[in-house]
Amino acid sequence: MTRLPAFLGALRRDMPWPLLAAPLLFFAAFFAFPLAVVLVASVTAADGGGLTLAHYARVLLDAYHWDILWLTLRIAFVTTAIAMMLGYPLAYYLVRVVEARWLRRACVVLLVIPLFTSNIVRSFGWMVLLGRVGIVNETLQGAGLIERPIRFLGSETGIVIGLVYILLPFVVLTTGNAIAAIDRRLEEAASDLGAGPAQRFRTIVWPLSLPGLLSGAVIVFTLAVSAYVTPALLSSGRVTVFSMLIYQQYASVFDFHYGGALSVVLLVATLLLLWAAAAIDPTRRRT
Amino acid sequence: MIARVALGGLAWLTLAYLAFPLVVILGASLTTTEFLAFPPRGLTLAWYGRVVADPSYVGAFWTSTWLAALAAASAVLLGLPASLAIARHDFPGKAALAALLMSPLLLPHIVLGAALLQYCVHVGIARTPLALLVGHTVIVAPFVIRAVLPLLTAEQRALEEASMDLGAGPFQTFCRVTLPLVRSGVVSGALFAFISSWINVELSMFGTTASMTTVPVKLLNHVQYQVDPLIAAVSGITILAAAAAIVAIDVVFGLDLLAERK
Repeated sequence: MTRLPAFLGALRRDMPWPLLAAPLLFFAAFFAFPLAVVLVASVTAADGGGLTLAHYARVLLDAYHWDILWLTLRIAFVTTAIAMMLGYPLAYYLVRVVEARWLRRACVVLLVIPLFTSNIVRSFGWMVLLGRVGIVNETLQGAGLIERPIRFLGSETGIVIGLVYILLPFVVLTTGNAIAAIDRRLEEAASDLGAGPAQRFRTIVWPLSLPGLLSGAVIVFTLAVSAYVTPALLSSGRVTVFSMLIYQQYASVFDFHYGGALSVVLLVATLLLLWAAAAIDPTRRRT
Repeated sequence: MIARVALGGLAWLTLAYLAFPLVVILGASLTTTEFLAFPPRGLTLAWYGRVVADPSYVGAFWTSTWLAALAAASAVLLGLPASLAIARHDFPGKAALAALLMSPLLLPHIVLGAALLQYCVHVGIARTPLALLVGHTVIVAPFVIRAVLPLLTAEQRALEEASMDLGAGPFQTFCRVTLPLVRSGVVSGALFAFISSWINVELSMFGTTASMTTVPVKLLNHVQYQVDPLIAAVSGITILAAAAAIVAIDVVFGLDLLAERK
């Protein structure tokens, strides 16, 4: 207990209050406090009574919610995996293979334009493409690959196609950045010592670019788990992901207590998975 | 050799995948038909004319723009001092504070939007411009901090101390030394903040009303009921604006992000 006065003294003496007062107050008032309100609502009874875990019981004891949570996580995992598989080769290609500076710049512009466009607009493009009479189906039918149109809209596949599209640039940019920072002399040295291209890639480029790939994957995963717009537009109301449940409660049902419990569950699930990802991060041990 | 061709093929297919939906939207916005068609049948700019003549869309463009501008400005006003405090001072709980200020990047925006709605109902400012603005400021402030913090290095600190030793006051030092050195971070952070605010849906949809709505939210509401070339034209405008902004950034800053560092 004797440390508390010392701590308070340090707070008064060492805190750069003139710099911190405004940001701290603002974030307390409009970030920490609203989240606390959600947390409190999620553990209080709807009639204003005392503490209750009834809302959490309603969320966690219902198999329907587990199905949706599992579906949401599955979509996020598949999206992340595909984005990594497409993003890595593209990043490598842009950094190491493309020689012309103007071409690489043009490709970066192309990568960044989607990031500067609302995900409504980007999902809307896929609604047009993936519809029953959209180009994708017409092309596949015209080529004789399928007989009847495939239903992309309203399926997990459609949502994954849209999410990969929206989140892919993050993987390419983080991975490309890591590859661009690799010192070529390491590979030259390996080459002098007799390592072939495959071995050079496996022992030098891959391990050094892995942190970039993983940080991109974490961004993709967190955004995919909580995505609302893309699933809402590409599901045609047939597939429900977790964020849609939350939106329903806040925007049409107005049950802030039950909605609060849903929000906290999504928040905790996301943070747990990020924590797990950081714990098993293979790049951490080596450094 | 085969590996190289396969890599190139995969890379170009992926780039095509990234470009295709945008091309489709721009193409579909030029159709003369009343329904969406790609490739467009006939070419016309009539749908763009309809957007410009529709006061509700023009209003939404204004709302989005002033909201994004104010949010970016507020983000700089909060993020710059916070970055200075984190980079220049040692105080208890510094790591926790930095984590708090950066966490809006990590938390689901839909949860944050719901939280702000509920909170603003309590405070009595729900669905007002102020509620929208504070929410946007919270989610875009981390972009400014992330852009400014790496520029506040030890060498720069030495320059500031030199300035003070030579008799400049703290304010003069800030304006003459600190600010010019972090200007590029402030500009790029503010730019990212502006754009992230402009395109936000997941937070805005809890804060807009029929008379005060942003372009993305208006598009969301429209698309869920009806899909027509008007939507393609509105989307087309935002795509062209984004492309213009990026080309401008490329010219000013040089967007050769993926160039190898020598």
